[in-house]
Amino acid sequence: MEAGTWSWNDREILRYLGCKTADTPETVRTLIEECKTELEQSAAPKAVWREFPLTVQGQEIDMGCLKTSSRHLSRNLRDCDRILLFGATLGAGVDILLGRYEKLQLSKAVVLQASAVAMLETYCDETIKQLKEEYLAEGAYLRPRFSPGYGDFSLECQRMIVPALDLNRRIGVTLTDALLMLPSKSVTAAVGISQVPADCRVEGCEVCGKRDCLYRR
Amino acid sequence: MSILQELKERILFCDGGMGSLLQAAGLKAGELPGTWNICRPEVVVQIHKEYLDAGADIVTANTFGVDRLKYHEASEYKLDAVIAAAIKNAREAVAQSGKKAWVALDLGPTGKLLKPLGDLGFEEAVALYKEVIQIGVREGADLILIETMSDSYETKAAVLAAKESCSLPIFVTVTFDERGKLLTGGTPASIVAMLEGLGVDVLGINCGLGPAQMKEILKEMLAVSSTPIMVNSNAGLPRSKQGQTVYDIDADQFAEIMEKMAVMGVRIVGGCCGTTPEHISKVASRCRHLTPVPVTAKKRTVISSFAQAVEIGKSPVIIGERINPTGKSRFKQALREHNLEYILQEGVTQQDHGAHVLDVNVGLPEIDEAAMLEEVVKELQSVIDLPLQLDTADSAAMERAMRIYNGKPLINSVNGKEESMKAIFPLVKKYGGVAVALCLDEHGIPETAQGRIEIAEKIYQNAAEYGIGPENILIDALCLTVSSDSKGAVTTLETLRRVRDELGGKTILGVSNISFGLPKREIINGAFFTMAMQNGLSAAIINPNSEAMMNAYYSFRALMDLDPQCGDYIGAYGGQGAAAGTGNGAGAGQGAALSLAVSIEKGLREQAAAAVTEQLKDRNPLEIINSQMIPALDRVGKGFEKGTLFLPQLLMSAEAAKAAFEIIKVRMDESGVKQEKKGTVILATVKGDIHDIGKNIVKVLLENYGYQVLDLGKDVPPEQIAETAVKQQVKLVGLSALMTTTVPSMEETIRLLRASAPWAKVMVGGAVLTQDYADSMGADRYCRDAMASVNYAEEVFG
Repeated sequence: MEAGTWSWNDREILRYLGCKTADTPETVRTLIEECKTELEQSAAPKAVWREFPLTVQGQEIDMGCLKTSSRHLSRNLRDCDRILLFGATLGAGVDILLGRYEKLQLSKAVVLQASAVAMLETYCDETIKQLKEEYLAEGAYLRPRFSPGYGDFSLECQRMIVPALDLNRRIGVTLTDALLMLPSKSVTAAVGISQVPADCRVEGCEVCGKRDCLYRR
Repeated sequence: MSILQELKERILFCDGGMGSLLQAAGLKAGELPGTWNICRPEVVVQIHKEYLDAGADIVTANTFGVDRLKYHEASEYKLDAVIAAAIKNAREAVAQSGKKAWVALDLGPTGKLLKPLGDLGFEEAVALYKEVIQIGVREGADLILIETMSDSYETKAAVLAAKESCSLPIFVTVTFDERGKLLTGGTPASIVAMLEGLGVDVLGINCGLGPAQMKEILKEMLAVSSTPIMVNSNAGLPRSKQGQTVYDIDADQFAEIMEKMAVMGVRIVGGCCGTTPEHISKVASRCRHLTPVPVTAKKRTVISSFAQAVEIGKSPVIIGERINPTGKSRFKQALREHNLEYILQEGVTQQDHGAHVLDVNVGLPEIDEAAMLEEVVKELQSVIDLPLQLDTADSAAMERAMRIYNGKPLINSVNGKEESMKAIFPLVKKYGGVAVALCLDEHGIPETAQGRIEIAEKIYQNAAEYGIGPENILIDALCLTVSSDSKGAVTTLETLRRVRDELGGKTILGVSNISFGLPKREIINGAFFTMAMQNGLSAAIINPNSEAMMNAYYSFRALMDLDPQCGDYIGAYGGQGAAAGTGNGAGAGQGAALSLAVSIEKGLREQAAAAVTEQLKDRNPLEIINSQMIPALDRVGKGFEKGTLFLPQLLMSAEAAKAAFEIIKVRMDESGVKQEKKGTVILATVKGDIHDIGKNIVKVLLENYGYQVLDLGKDVPPEQIAETAVKQQVKLVGLSALMTTTVPSMEETIRLLRASAPWAKVMVGGAVLTQDYADSMGADRYCRDAMASVNYAEEVFG
């Protein structure tokens, strides 16, 4: 990606860093700007998605390639008859950059982490926004994306989602035995498709049970 | 006729996509395609047969992604059986077609990232591939096809596995993204350098892109490759249409572009994702009658890292000499303490000053050089993207380093002695590399240029017997110090010139040897360096942090038309007038005292270092630490706890303090004063977890507060943590976990610590932890942030 081409969400970066917007010192702001430039040079954002049939009965969810039980996800999928499985990554270049600064300059590594997460979130939001418009054109509505690990949507599901999307071959995403995706700045998510519009305000962060989380919105 | 023989005669055709056709026949998303070799063999045979009928000369057995990770002990189908069935199906199709065709054992990525980016060790990857290759060879594969590789390191593991398991031809194709790079950053030139070093038979590109996007990358590859090239392109760029994948071009357009590639010089053409027998048939009918473009030897002297290739022989190449303990007590100490950060910093500084390659020498009498060289090379190649020059006299250490090196290294060194050539050349043949060849032999260093030229010729000849061309040798003309031999420089310069003019070879020199024993060595070094470049020196081992040397380098390039519009020269010196002399007010006395504390609080590294240097002139190191640095760190820590300062600031202050401590430490070592450590703390990220930034933050703070930290790293087994606690009688252990899935291994670690080191207190932290979690695991303290760990350490040791 070319430097200066990404539209950054500074508020999110500062939120991940635990900084209050008003009193962020100049030194930190400079660091953030450096990180943005280096990320734009190192990141290679990629995404894939695939549609699957969906049946939901109570908490039991069946998407063909994956059967699971989740109260939170099933609520998110109310009135949906199909589902998009979605995967995205910023690529291994970002991990190489993070590894470099973890060894050479930790303060920068911390700011890079925050900036990279913000970048990935924006990328996912933008990609899904486009998909939303495409589906809207055929009269269908996409629900908010919901990732394994949110609420009671089991991380174990990654074992099925990663091969179902062929993530390794298509965008280079791998899964460790501990169900961690690598490159580390990667996301998978389930996105319900419905014929019914819904005002579903509850999104990712808010459904999480960890109420004392430092990063809670 | 063997396939390599046939390849010399005509363009060959590979088959196309398998996965997409299996899906069309009912393979479900996420289902392992390899299983169909056994449960639906008729479908697999039919697909092979259609490709053969379409004109394919090579059928790839349905073994892509088949390995022990997917077919393990608990799997319904066994690895042996799946591979055996795959080869049998391919053979069956060949028999049915009545054609002469070759069956490739198809290998792809393991689906894991290699360490340090991921959790799979290099040798584990080699072993995974070996197992598959051994079965495939036993079942009668004709060649090994390693494809869709997007990480040079994993590619090297697969190629080594093949070389160590069989003598079948090895074909390797890699996958680039739209930036023309591998996922881990490699370029066409860097991957060609590594693969040619490893001696593969065919190399090329597959998957990832459509043929149109591959053309530019192909052009780059053809320009540098002396090996036949293979292209298996996707059917075009994919997009989703109503949940289905479709491609942006049709079979006719596909064939048209593939034909253009064959005209450019591709020797094996085929397809990948989305291509069908129709694609291959159209390609074959367009390309069958083309006269193949001959593969020519490019004779380039080139080395590579995971990310870039460096060509030697056009413009002089700078090899940074600073990673070497000779005569450096701080460096020796860093090696003994496994202080890799210090070594990395030496590398980064040299890169910043313009080095193209880094020499790596870690030889010390009292350390295990082979283990140390491996450790340092792994660390350097994870942080710095420059190629390395592996520098050791110990051939066992050399082999280990060459094996785990991610690319094609410079090898320092071989010489004209039989014994040396016998030790080094087989390694170059196996792992690839460019060898530095010293002009000396059993009789010592010849005094005349003629004598040195004769040794160079002998070395070239001997290398050729191993199949190593002169392009993979750099002749070291050697220079003897001019203060003891007044002809030293003249002889060296003549040797350089004659290697270039008479032998057509490339040269290298440790330039600064010339000035030993003389005052103001830089003056002689700079002048000699210019003269050496003028006489043809291709690569110089120098200190790139030396202004005199880099002045010579930039001037030479500008004067010799090697620096278009003097761009690099202006880049190096253009802005200097304005930037010079930026002080930070680090005066003497009270002014400097203020400045050190303020520098730390504001997180200004360079200012803190400057201020402490100034203060050390008339103050005692311990006084500086206790009266200024610790109070400054305390104020920052309090600010963080109150929420008036944030994590990045806390760390910037910690780094500024660390820079100051580093300077104080050197001073104290010189004067023999020792700072008492407050206590020893073990830190580790638990097994299964490979994120260790949180742990590293705790580490830097604890060190600043005077604790000795035993950093066991990430993904650390419980046993190792417990053993270390027992062996070193450690009173405090800090454990970090990021993922819910790794909390159980934290629990297990605590259980083990309680049993074997009941005296040790355990503090835990990490993104997923809470007070409740920590309590239920029986930890002594939950630390929600890094300052909390410092406070707890002060409690335990205070």
